[in-house]
Amino acid sequence: MSYIVTTENLTKRYRDRTVVDGVDLRVPTGCVYGFLGPNGAGKSTTLKMVLSLIRPTSGAVQVLGQPMTRQTRRDLLGRIGSLIEAPPGYAHLTGAENMRLVQRLLGLEDAQVEHAVRTVRMNDQMDKKVGHYSLGMKQRLGIAMALARRPELLVLDEPSNGLDPAGIEEMRELLRGLAEDGVTVMVSSHLLGEIDKTATVLGILSGGRMIFQGTRDELFAASTPDVLLDCSAPERAQAVLSRIGPATLEGSAVRLAGPGNRAVAGAVAALVGDGIGVHGVRRDEQTLEDVFAELTSGGGL
Amino acid sequence: MNALLAELIKLKRSLSWPVVVLLPLALVVSAVVNTLVSGQPLEDGWATLWLRSLVFGGLFPLALGVGTLASLVWRVEHRGNNWNVLMSGPTPTWRIVVAKGIVVAGLSAAMQVLLHLAVLVMGEVLGLPGGMPVAYLGISALIMIACVPLAVLQSGLSMVLRSFAAPIAVALVGSGISIMLLMAGLDAALVSPYGLFSRTTQLGTGTFLDDGSTSAIDVVMILSLSVGLTAGLLAATTWFINRRDTHA
Ligand SMILES: Nc1ncnc2c1ncn2[C@@H]1O[C@H](COP(=O)(O)OP(=O)(O)O)[C@@H](O)[C@H]1O
Ligand SMILES: [Mg+2]
Repeated sequence: MSYIVTTENLTKRYRDRTVVDGVDLRVPTGCVYGFLGPNGAGKSTTLKMVLSLIRPTSGAVQVLGQPMTRQTRRDLLGRIGSLIEAPPGYAHLTGAENMRLVQRLLGLEDAQVEHAVRTVRMNDQMDKKVGHYSLGMKQRLGIAMALARRPELLVLDEPSNGLDPAGIEEMRELLRGLAEDGVTVMVSSHLLGEIDKTATVLGILSGGRMIFQGTRDELFAASTPDVLLDCSAPERAQAVLSRIGPATLEGSAVRLAGPGNRAVAGAVAALVGDGIGVHGVRRDEQTLEDVFAELTSGGGL
Repeated sequence: MNALLAELIKLKRSLSWPVVVLLPLALVVSAVVNTLVSGQPLEDGWATLWLRSLVFGGLFPLALGVGTLASLVWRVEHRGNNWNVLMSGPTPTWRIVVAKGIVVAGLSAAMQVLLHLAVLVMGEVLGLPGGMPVAYLGISALIMIACVPLAVLQSGLSMVLRSFAAPIAVALVGSGISIMLLMAGLDAALVSPYGLFSRTTQLGTGTFLDDGSTSAIDVVMILSLSVGLTAGLLAATTWFINRRDTHA
C-alpha cells in the first residue's frame, strides 16, 4: 500500500506538556482518513505539523513521498489543500473577490475556480461579502479555496464544526465525491458520527497518543463486545457474577463488560452451578460509537 | 508578482484609503492653523509652508501614518484563519513579505503625493509669491524612497506582533529616539528607518542636520541607506517568519 502521509514518532511538546506523543500516521493514498479524538487530543496540532505550520519537537513528517520541512514546505503545499480550525476569508471582500485572490495567488484557470465553487455549491453566494456569510457558508468557501488548486491531498480540520445536520450531511457527500475523484482526504472530528460513514480508514487519538489506526472492520475486530446473559433469576445471577467480574443488571439479563470466550464459559458454569437457569447468551450489538467511547475513555485496546 | 496582484484585491474597501487621504490634508491644514494661531506669517513663503507641513510631518505623524497603514493591511491576515492559509500555501514567505512591503510602501508613497499636492494647492490658495520650487519634486521623490524601509519595518512589525496598536507605538518611540539623535547632530540616527525618514523630510530646509543645501552626497547616502535597510529588513522578517510556529 502506498501512503500519502506518514509520520515517524511525531511529537510536540509545549514547555513540559507533551501534546502529541510519538504518533505514527499512515494515510493510504486515495482514502478518506478519519482522524478522531476528543477535544484537546492533539488533532489540530498533528495536522499543523503535517502542513509544517508548526515544527515538531521531534519526529518527522513525509508527505507525497518527500520530507515535509520548512525548506520543502512551499513546494509541497501547492499540491495540498487545507482548512485548519476556523474558516478563512477576507470579511471585507465578496466570495468572488476572495476566490479571485486565490486564483491570482496560485495562477489558476477560471475553470478551476468555477469548478471548486460549484463543488461546494456556493455559486449563488459569490456576490455577498464574506462578513455576511453564515458559518456553514464560510466553511464551504474555505473548502472551495482549498480545492481550487486541485490538490492531491486535502486536509480538513473539523470541517463540520458548527454546521447543522443538513450541512454535516452535505459535507459527507462532498468528501465522498472528492474521494471518488481521487483526492485523498484527511478529515478530523471529535464526533465519530460525523465521519463514521465517510471514512474508510480511521485514526484515533487520545491524550496525544494514537490508540488505533486501521479500517472500520479492524476497529470492530479489535474490541470485544459485551455479553448479555438471559437467566431465570437475574438479580441473584448478578450477585454471583459480580464475584467474577463487572456485571450489571439489564432487565431480565445480566451484562458482562467485554469478556473473552473463556470468561463467558466460566460465567455460564457458575450460574448453572448455583442453580440458575441460563436460557440465552449473546454478544451485544456494538456500534462504532460504543467502540470509540470505550477506546477514548479507557485508553487503548 | 502573483502575490502582489492578490494583495491589490485586498485593498478594495480597505480602511487604508481614508488614512492616505486624510493625514496629508490634516498636516497641511494644521500647518496653516499653526501659522494663524502663532501669528508668525509664512515669512519665507513656500519654504515656510513646506517646513511646517513636511518637516513637522516627518518628525512623527507620517511615521505613525505609515505604521497605521501597515497595521491595517496586516489586520485582516490575523483574523479568522487567514494566517494559516497564508502559511500553508505554496507562495514562498519572502514573496509574501515583499508583496506586503510593496503595498505599504505604495500606500505611503500615495500619501506623500497627496501631501505634495496639498501643499501646492494650499500655497496657491494663500497666494504665496512665485511658484512652488521645482526642487520640491525631487525631495518628494526622495521622501518616497526613504519611506520604503520604514514601510517594510512597520509591515514586518505588524506581521510579527499580530497587534494593531503595538507596532504604531514602536513607530512613536522609534521616531522620538531618532529625533533626539538628530537634534544632537548624530548621523547614527540615519541607520534607523525612522531617523532616515525624518532626515529626508528635512532636506533643503536647513533644519536639524540639514544645512539648507542638498548635496549629491546627501542624496547618494539616502538612496544607499534606503536600499540597504530595505534589503536587510526584508531578509530579517522572512528569516523570522520561516522559523516561527503559527500561533494557536
Ligand atoms: N501553542 C500552544 N501552546 C500550549 N499548548 C497548546 C498549544 N496549542 C495547543 N495546545 C494544547 O495542546 C492540546 C491539544 O490541542 P489540539 O491539537 O488543538 O487538540 P484538538 O484539535 O484535538 O482538539 C490542548 O490541550 C491544547 O491546549
Ligand atoms: Mg482542534
